[in-house]
Amino acid sequence: MRRAAPYVVALAGAVAVTAAIGLVSTRFQVPGLSALYLLLVLWLGATWGRGPAVAGSVAAFLLYDYFFVPPVGTFTVRGPSELLELIVLLAVALVTGQLAGSLRRTQSEAEALAADERAMYELATAALRSPEVTVALGLLAKRAVRLEGVSRFALMAMDSGHAVALAGGELTADELRQAAWAFDNGRSVGAAISNGSVRIMRTRPEAAEPAYLPLASGVALIKVEHGHPDDSGLRMLGALVGLAGLLLDRRRAVLEAERARGFEASDRLKAAILSSLSHELKSPIASLRAGLTALTAPQAGLQPDQRELLLDLDGQANRLDRLVGDMLDLSRLEAGVELDREPHRFADLVGSALHQLRPDLKSREVTVDVADDLPPVEVDELQVGRVLANLLENANEWAPAGGKIAVGAGAGDGMLTAWVENDGPAIAPTDLERVFDTFWTRRARGSGLGLAICKRVVEAHGGTIRAENRRRGPRFTFTLPLARVPATR
Amino acid sequence: MSGRVLVVDDEVEMQRALKTGLRYHDFDVHAVGTGEEAVRETAAWRPDVILLDLGLPGMDGFATLRALRPTTRAGVIVVSVMPGEKDKVRALDAGADDYVVKPFGTDELVARIKAVLRRQADVSAGEPVVRTGDLEIDLARRSVTAGGRAVKLTPTEYELLRYLALHAGKPVTHTTLLRQVWGEYAVGDKYNTRYVVAQIRKKLGDDPTNPRYIVNEPGVGYRLQA
Repeated sequence: MRRAAPYVVALAGAVAVTAAIGLVSTRFQVPGLSALYLLLVLWLGATWGRGPAVAGSVAAFLLYDYFFVPPVGTFTVRGPSELLELIVLLAVALVTGQLAGSLRRTQSEAEALAADERAMYELATAALRSPEVTVALGLLAKRAVRLEGVSRFALMAMDSGHAVALAGGELTADELRQAAWAFDNGRSVGAAISNGSVRIMRTRPEAAEPAYLPLASGVALIKVEHGHPDDSGLRMLGALVGLAGLLLDRRRAVLEAERARGFEASDRLKAAILSSLSHELKSPIASLRAGLTALTAPQAGLQPDQRELLLDLDGQANRLDRLVGDMLDLSRLEAGVELDREPHRFADLVGSALHQLRPDLKSREVTVDVADDLPPVEVDELQVGRVLANLLENANEWAPAGGKIAVGAGAGDGMLTAWVENDGPAIAPTDLERVFDTFWTRRARGSGLGLAICKRVVEAHGGTIRAENRRRGPRFTFTLPLARVPATR
Repeated sequence: MSGRVLVVDDEVEMQRALKTGLRYHDFDVHAVGTGEEAVRETAAWRPDVILLDLGLPGMDGFATLRALRPTTRAGVIVVSVMPGEKDKVRALDAGADDYVVKPFGTDELVARIKAVLRRQADVSAGEPVVRTGDLEIDLARRSVTAGGRAVKLTPTEYELLRYLALHAGKPVTHTTLLRQVWGEYAVGDKYNTRYVVAQIRKKLGDDPTNPRYIVNEPGVGYRLQA
């Protein structure tokens, strides 16, 4: 009934215009009054589109022919000029109606689009403002099922390989599996996004199976019943899916940040516990060493063999202290220690390490081959000092009585290559890699931590370290980054 | 050489071990367990050297050092378990004369105490020539000789060496050197001091991998061998 109304109006309008023309032409002789019909057709086209406009045109054509074109009172036409007048009227009416109709269509589409955009904008603002991502996703799902023809719209996040429903109601295990498959394979099922709009693709159009669209951090499930939504509905659906993708990304970013903070906190906690534990372990060792060494003074009046025993015990206490220190250092390095990098002359670093170990290296012949003009390295002085000290101690341990230890360095390709070697026994070829493993040691009494610390420090600087056997004995070679700009002041 | 040593440590075992060990080396030793007691005992007993543990309960080592420094000329050796390099620098900049890391042997500690006492004696004697090995720094004439050979230094190099010589045997921090040599408002760049020290070593004929005169204190600064 409502669809017929414009046509009724078109007919009534044509009759009314005919009456008006008739009324006027009984009193005045006005040529071209048929243009009044064009006015009607234009209005019909603009208001209801092409159909009523065409109906109005035809009605106008027939009425004008009947009442005003001689011979009046018939549908016949007398001559070619009258025929031409009628054809022009019909043609102009049709074209006008067509133009007005398409104008109306464009306008109503623009209005619909603007309404869509406004609705989308309001939704997006509300969703993005919402502190809880799941609440925002719920808004999207609610909006989607208000679209005509959309019966379900659900959003899932992917958490460690499993799809987890976040909005749009409960999902069956099968649906969650299907969603996970779509996500893992990066393939959509039953629908696709093209040009920002959802395109429903079905093998059997009557089947109302849900479609799955994988997003960067989750999956959208769409179920369309009662036929397709119209173009604007599909566009809206596309926009909702896009927005859901952004919100799911945000959720993932928030979760990852939380997880990272958790790790950081647990690393800090671990470092704090180890630091406090080491403090507790070292304090009694400190009392032990102070007491044992106090009694070795000649004034204590002990026999030589008694002093010897005390010195041995002090050596053991010292070993214990080193072990605690190494364990703390290693755990700090594993927790990711912050390097205090500055340009340093490698010769200075070698000098510090040798100075620190001077009492231990007394019986060794230590040669140093570090060129004077070597460019500075950009390293953490203390950490690299540990590397050198550990390698020197290792060499000291393995070099034979009166043996030799050699330290050297050269630069090239932005890196400094340094080595520490001794003339002790070779390392078994199968062990060349394992010497850097934590707790692995060639000695019965070693802690197995010294070289592991070396490896971690060198790698933290972006360098490498390796062990090899040379003709004279084992050599440890490591690389360190050179300072970017050779500082010459 | 003997002197009065005040041990400030909250562990009774440590106090007893140090009292015993240091007395065998002819020091007169008192021991207290807190910062407040250390301040009182310093005023009452006037020790020559204070061994100050940084990890005291209540008023901690740094606070104690700040409270002690204006009232005493005693040498302060800071003692600590696992001090970070920042703690060492902070203690030195707050007026400590040296630091010793726990655990340590009695001999090492005695050597440090004697070095501090010797410096105090040198400063009060106002000796104008500082000698370390065959290096001679004549502070009055601003001249330096190494192995009997005169060494020409730039003004910056001389100032740095002079400051180290005035505090021979004591670790001097990078920040102190920067302030003393380049001025109060010098913007800190440790590479400045490292560069100048390398130049001085070269002119003195000192091998950086086996320095005889200026020794690195990693993460802290330099020390002129006494």
